[in-house]
Amino acid sequence: MTRAITEADWTSPLKAVPVSRQKKDALFELACRVALIAERARSSETASIADDARIERRKVLRFGLELLAQGADQETIELAYGHSASTADLDAGTRLELATLGAGLSAIAAGRHPFIALRRMTAFLGYDYFEKASEWIAAKLRKRRSKGLTLLLPGDFPDLIRNLSLDPRSLERALRGAGWELAVAALAGCAQESIDLVAGFYGPAGGTIFSDDAAWMRGKLSGDEISQAQGEFMTVVKRLESEGELAIGREDAFASDPDFIHELTRAVMSLDDRSLRSVFKDGDSRILALAMQGLEPRAHERILGLLPSRVARRLLDAVDDAAILPRREVLVAGKTLAQAVLAQAALTKSSPRESLESFGKVRDWAEGSVTEKA
Amino acid sequence: MIRWNAELAKRLACGDDDRRALGPLIRRFIDLARKARKEGFLALEADATQSDDPLLKVGLRLVAEGIPADTLEDILSTYLLASDEKGWPFLRSCATIEGLLSLSAGDDSDILIRKLVAYYGADRALAVLQELEGNAQ
Repeated sequence: MTRAITEADWTSPLKAVPVSRQKKDALFELACRVALIAERARSSETASIADDARIERRKVLRFGLELLAQGADQETIELAYGHSASTADLDAGTRLELATLGAGLSAIAAGRHPFIALRRMTAFLGYDYFEKASEWIAAKLRKRRSKGLTLLLPGDFPDLIRNLSLDPRSLERALRGAGWELAVAALAGCAQESIDLVAGFYGPAGGTIFSDDAAWMRGKLSGDEISQAQGEFMTVVKRLESEGELAIGREDAFASDPDFIHELTRAVMSLDDRSLRSVFKDGDSRILALAMQGLEPRAHERILGLLPSRVARRLLDAVDDAAILPRREVLVAGKTLAQAVLAQAALTKSSPRESLESFGKVRDWAEGSVTEKA
Repeated sequence: MIRWNAELAKRLACGDDDRRALGPLIRRFIDLARKARKEGFLALEADATQSDDPLLKVGLRLVAEGIPADTLEDILSTYLLASDEKGWPFLRSCATIEGLLSLSAGDDSDILIRKLVAYYGADRALAVLQELEGNAQ
């Protein structure tokens, strides 16, 4: 039996007295407001919470914000709201409000991400509000771009993450085995490239929470604490490796294949402007960004020079977002590009023969024929 | 130390037939654990979409998002607290939460089974464990 279930107060479950839909909708709006306060507080610490407390008109929320601004910990907030909620003469709606706010504010005190605080609060409102919270989070995600981070700690840890990523299941097992807190602390000392590799395993919402938490922890932890977390993460990886749970890939898997890159670049450089523009304008930015890793800089310049600035920006964003790929995946992305060009050429019949022959070679490139340069 | 909660024990009270009905739920979790290990945790979102059980649906989405274990536990138990279940549905929900937490931690199916058979009660757990492991091989 889990801790949270055994410690819950089952003598007064929240559904014993029904709460109206209108009240729950109002509490949902309140929970979103608390999540926004938490988001602001993450960037400016307690000063922002003190400001929010001063202007807050709802007494029960103002009380909690003042506690947070004074540096109250999770337990203090839980006790404060728990005592209030257990008062016998409160109506069901007020009890639900106190429980919801107490959960959200204590999550903030514990350093939880605002999205997680929202999930925590809306759980009190029942299953219907899970989707509403997901929609609210998705709307927030659409408005933001990931922030670039600079490398804090030099060392082998980013290499470990990259080598583990050669087998995605291995990296995922290492992350789950280490647990969220340790993984976030360890990755806090890495460049955005490593964090992006990891965040991809948690989906759009979970991935954003992970990236934000890593950036936030960077300001909270000392270099020694991050180094210690990385050491503990490596210990988990070694244990899982000895148990046969994961495999650490070889660094040379990232070494590029110059013959393939040369052939793909030749194909792109000899393709006519119209066909090249069409493929890159209408294609999937993510796939094309991956294929760009298999091209020489002169091919990058030609492609970006041909595209309207809006499309070029979109492609550059996708290139920025893409992690450095292992050689095999660069090969797959290049082949996908070649297939797209050849499919288009079959319809228009206007592309130069030399270029199509090169794209044909790229499409049929066998993995075994890759030159080993490691 | 085991903390005894009389109200919780009352809510969990149900018959042997009810406990036996946990079998399909445990098998479902074994399949989910194998799928997560083979295809990755984001693959569980498809199972969440198809599930009729609201707790499992929400839980699988949260497991895929990878949120910290203690928060996952708090959130799932809050859903349970807000739904006011008793008897068999309550037992099933408790086992579902245990399974989701085990899944999220990346436990393999051996550990997962051992955590879930405890819900049959100490007197039947061993027999059920042998039966499930026999079927799983």
